[in-house]
Amino acid sequence: MLVAILAHFALAAVLPLVARRYGRAAFVVGALAPAATLVYALARGGEAVSGAPPLETLAWAPVIGLEFTARFDELALLLILLVSGIGAVVLCYYSRYAKPDDHRTAARDSALLVTFAGAMLGLVLADDVISLYLFWELTTVCSFLLVGGDGVAKRLRTSATQALLVTTLGGLAMLLGLILLGTAAGTMRISEILADPPSGGIVTAALLLVLLGALTKSAQVPFHPWLPSAMVAPTPVSAYLHAAAMVKAGVYLVARFSPAFADHPAWWIPIVVCGLWTMLLGGFRALRQYDLKTLLAYGTISQLGFLMVMLGAGTWMSALAAGTLILAHGLFKSALFLTVGIIDKRAGTRDIRELSGLGRQWRGLTTLATFALMSMAGLPPLLGFIGKEVALEALFEGGTVDRLIGVGVAVGSVLTVVYSLRFLRGAFGTKPDMAPSAPVPCGRVMTGMVAVPSLAGLVLALAPSVIEPVETGYADRYGKDPGYHLALWHGITPALMISVGIIAAGVAVHRYAGVQRLGGYVPGPLRAQSWYGRSVEGLESLARGVTGRLQVGSLPVYLGVILTTLVVVPGAGLFSGDIDFGELRLFDNWLQVPLALLVLVAAATSLLARRRLTAVLLAGVVGYGIGAWFVVDGGADLALAQFLVETLTLVVFVFVIRRFPPRFIENKAYVGGRWVKAVIAGVAGTFVAVLAVLYSGYRGGIPEASRQYIERAEDETGATNVVNAIIVDFRAFDTIGEITVLAVAATGVASLILARSRRRNGTVGRPEPTEQDATDDTGTTETPEVRS
Amino acid sequence: MTFLVALPVLLPLLAAALSLVAGRSPRVQRLLGVVVLTAIAAVAATLLLRADSEGPVVLRLGGYGPPFGITLVADRLASLLLLVSALVTLAVLVFSIGQRITDFGRRTASTAFHPMYLVLCAGVSMAYLTGDLFNLFVAFEIMLGASYVLITRRVTAERVRPSMTYVIVSLTSSLLFITMIALVYTATGTVNLAAMPEKIAALPAGVQSSLALFIVIVFGIKAALVPLHFWLPDSYPTAPAPITAVFAALLTKVGVYALIRTQTLVFVHEDSWAVLLGVALVTMIIGALGAIAQNDLNRMLSFLLVSHIGYMLFGLALFTVIGLAGVILYVVHHITVQGALFLVSGLVTRHTGTVSLQAMSGVARAYPLVAVLFAIPAMSLAGIPPFSGFVAKMALLQAGAEVGTAMAIAVTAGAVVTSLLTLYAVTKIWVGAFWGPPTEPLVDDDPNDDVTVGTGSTSSAMVGATGGLVLISVLIAVFAGPLADMSERAANDLLHDEGYRSAVLGEGNG
Repeated sequence: MLVAILAHFALAAVLPLVARRYGRAAFVVGALAPAATLVYALARGGEAVSGAPPLETLAWAPVIGLEFTARFDELALLLILLVSGIGAVVLCYYSRYAKPDDHRTAARDSALLVTFAGAMLGLVLADDVISLYLFWELTTVCSFLLVGGDGVAKRLRTSATQALLVTTLGGLAMLLGLILLGTAAGTMRISEILADPPSGGIVTAALLLVLLGALTKSAQVPFHPWLPSAMVAPTPVSAYLHAAAMVKAGVYLVARFSPAFADHPAWWIPIVVCGLWTMLLGGFRALRQYDLKTLLAYGTISQLGFLMVMLGAGTWMSALAAGTLILAHGLFKSALFLTVGIIDKRAGTRDIRELSGLGRQWRGLTTLATFALMSMAGLPPLLGFIGKEVALEALFEGGTVDRLIGVGVAVGSVLTVVYSLRFLRGAFGTKPDMAPSAPVPCGRVMTGMVAVPSLAGLVLALAPSVIEPVETGYADRYGKDPGYHLALWHGITPALMISVGIIAAGVAVHRYAGVQRLGGYVPGPLRAQSWYGRSVEGLESLARGVTGRLQVGSLPVYLGVILTTLVVVPGAGLFSGDIDFGELRLFDNWLQVPLALLVLVAAATSLLARRRLTAVLLAGVVGYGIGAWFVVDGGADLALAQFLVETLTLVVFVFVIRRFPPRFIENKAYVGGRWVKAVIAGVAGTFVAVLAVLYSGYRGGIPEASRQYIERAEDETGATNVVNAIIVDFRAFDTIGEITVLAVAATGVASLILARSRRRNGTVGRPEPTEQDATDDTGTTETPEVRS
Repeated sequence: MTFLVALPVLLPLLAAALSLVAGRSPRVQRLLGVVVLTAIAAVAATLLLRADSEGPVVLRLGGYGPPFGITLVADRLASLLLLVSALVTLAVLVFSIGQRITDFGRRTASTAFHPMYLVLCAGVSMAYLTGDLFNLFVAFEIMLGASYVLITRRVTAERVRPSMTYVIVSLTSSLLFITMIALVYTATGTVNLAAMPEKIAALPAGVQSSLALFIVIVFGIKAALVPLHFWLPDSYPTAPAPITAVFAALLTKVGVYALIRTQTLVFVHEDSWAVLLGVALVTMIIGALGAIAQNDLNRMLSFLLVSHIGYMLFGLALFTVIGLAGVILYVVHHITVQGALFLVSGLVTRHTGTVSLQAMSGVARAYPLVAVLFAIPAMSLAGIPPFSGFVAKMALLQAGAEVGTAMAIAVTAGAVVTSLLTLYAVTKIWVGAFWGPPTEPLVDDDPNDDVTVGTGSTSSAMVGATGGLVLISVLIAVFAGPLADMSERAANDLLHDEGYRSAVLGEGNG
């Protein structure tokens, strides 16, 4: 099966080339991949239902748990029927739906749809959580690009983005949940996790996270608004992604994990509650739609809720119902979407207020659509009816909770009947006060493609034994087979009576004119769409608030934060253990005392200086003071170097400072800022000094390296000066580096000066960059030249 | 064979000197740069194979061994990063050459750029290869010195201030670095990294952790960990695209590498590392929020860079084999992807004439190839499968879940949230810049500076270099298996550093 997945991607890669040459025929070429997959899957169907499903693996990066595993079982087979079957139908349909001369769109959409088909195939076959997530996100990305299309219209962009963000939110939550679940179970293989489900607090959290993925992907309340928004996509895309395949991914995920977790309250309660709510809300909202496609979108939301409820109920019968309904829904809903595509394309509108008399013009299409609508409404002799019978049987034969759920499902089903009738009348009916739409052909190929899923719903209902092994095979994971068989006629059962009641109620409500005004109304604040808008707005303003407060653009603040962190973090580390200062000697030589005082006072005063020259001179005092210290400690050569550098720096400073204003520019906004800076600098300096004193107490004697430098300098390098030996011999590599830095600094200064003169000679007149720009009240104008 | 270890440092230094001399001959300069960087990549590949099969390749410079000579060490981690960095610097150089030829013609020399760029590469190589703390400081100085020149080159009035922010914060970090070396030498009496752990272990716990955290802060400034990161988004975006690309790809990563090297080799893992997990979480979230708040394409990418440094710290703080393998994969992935994104930003800016996301529109329709070159690294950065970021992220998430402490799980969740925020940010770029109706490019408001924008003119060298980086990131994903194996072995080396230490210290005192 892995080969089939790869074949999809390989084919998708060459489709743009095909489209460039042959235009929309690329869609038909693309259909080969799913069609072949369907044939292959059916041929191997026996293995899938055998109880020992074939397993294939392909290593990617096994060390970090990345591998592809495909497990071809009944549930996978059931979904492949939809994914590949409907996929092939939709691609063929699209080859007539697309504009003949728009090769660009054909290239993009054909490649994306086939990629999507491959990803869906991978998704339903995946037997390890990482492959599952991988294909899951791949479908999301394909959906984003397919809905966005060329991205020129704003509506396309916002809808695509909403679908992406909502489903990725869920997808990432699911990923985290799956990883936690896998870690708790000690395996990332789904079949192994399900065979021996883990338990514990972390598993509860993990299940909720996984559910978040399922609920967002399958457009369950309160995440559903992305689905009606996504109806801006081309109709074949909607038929495939938003009816048959992608939105089923969430249902599939629940179907996959329910056998192991159906009894876990954190699993079934959210599923049933959200599912019922979704079923009712979706049906209710569909009642007021004028756009046929949006009507179907709400219908899909409602039906997906129904499927969730049946899976959450978690019994053999409910699982059988869910399996049957997954297939039935995929068939009738794709047929209806494709019908809307024909209406939209040929009649020029899909608004039911502008359509009239199409039923008489297009008898064939009307018949096919009616079959699909009957299946949706749960009328015999169609697959939808069989599924709904099982569902009602499952719920009303159960306990109190199941019966309560059953009542909800029955109400939802009444709404389904009502909006099915609304579709039938709205799309094909002849309205007395309207002129019939202009006669146009409905297209033989496109109608033929509607016929495939529509008639499949009829044929499978007449011969349900064809699919029964798949459906019961899946249901068997929930318990013992009670000996129930899929059939159109079970005798006069309570379920049948309820079905009749539902249909009668639906027809009655449809006749009641007030439903137009009442139906579908939701008060503004309760609309989920506005919550999406508010969340995005909230995120943006949070980001602006946090960033605006932190990223203030002031260098002194940044430096202050760095120094504060320097004191706080290692300081906390230091005091986490015992510290021992050992024996402290205050000074070795009494001369050190006045020198230390001099350096300290000069350093402190330089912070408070208001004139630049004063600050520079005081900094010089610090340097000379330290040089004097070296003399006292016996490092005469070191002192010499220090005095030289100090003098040179001072001279350079004096030259540079002549071009500056004599005083630092006082920033009035920072009254007291000077003191804050002084305190931070003082504390940081003291902290480092304390560390130095403390650390030196832990060293036993002269380090090995120092000892060896002294011992070996003369013998090995011939130098009598150890420092020279280190610089030019022992550690010459460092010296090469330092020389490089020097050369770099010189080049940098030269390049700055050259750039300035070049600009002066330039023709474009603009203000000279002034030195003041670079100076603020930090008083630092250090450039590389100073460092060298 | 061991002399090979010195080549990645010496070759570019030598070439830089020649390039400086050949300042008036642009062809020689270009050729030198490309040849030398290609050679480094070849050497790095050789070193990687050798280190993988026979253990670390050690070179004692001047024949002086530890504790007083300098050693260069090419182990798996160092040579792997060296290889990736060489490829990225090569791509950026080609891009840069292409850009200059497009703007100023074949004959215009750029005296300073080529030598400085090569010096920067030498500094980066040295930082990876050195086994000596003081030499690491020198490597940083070389790298930073060259970066100061590159960022202030042809500086305009508006760019002076951000450049100075960069220079001053970097100087502060250098100051703290040299202070840190003094402290380390005070406490241990050695600057050789391999000789340090033994000495450190003898110190009391408080001293050990204060020293470890001091080092985290020094390298944290370079790596741009929150709250030490403020300088980065303020300074990077103002430099020309290739400069920003190489800074973003490499300089922060060298900081991360130094963190990994010191924290694994020198210090022992202790409970106080929960602090690092916290810092990782804050870095990821603050960076991502910062990105969302931006309207400037380059500033947004810079904040994303900060955010994703958090992932690398996350894996390091977990301190497990898979966690560290994840970090190594993440660094490798991020070097290529972040470099590619800034190069794409350069292409986009040339086509649109602006960095403002609100002002640009319709790039995908006008330049589909640029759109593809953006989409792949962008998705990779957001961790969308099956690209390189996904591979690295999966390792980190699994490592976090396996450690399983409350803090580790919290940061794992934070990493997932950051993925979503990153996706949100790159979607904003995609929707704002690439979708929508195509617009006329804005006119370059400053034709005198180093970047010509809004001309719509790009050369095949520029697009090819960007494509090359994107291709590398795709190959990282395709060959994730061998790469992950290698990373896992490298991570094992880090956790069980006896191999490294005995290779360095082994044969006595040379």
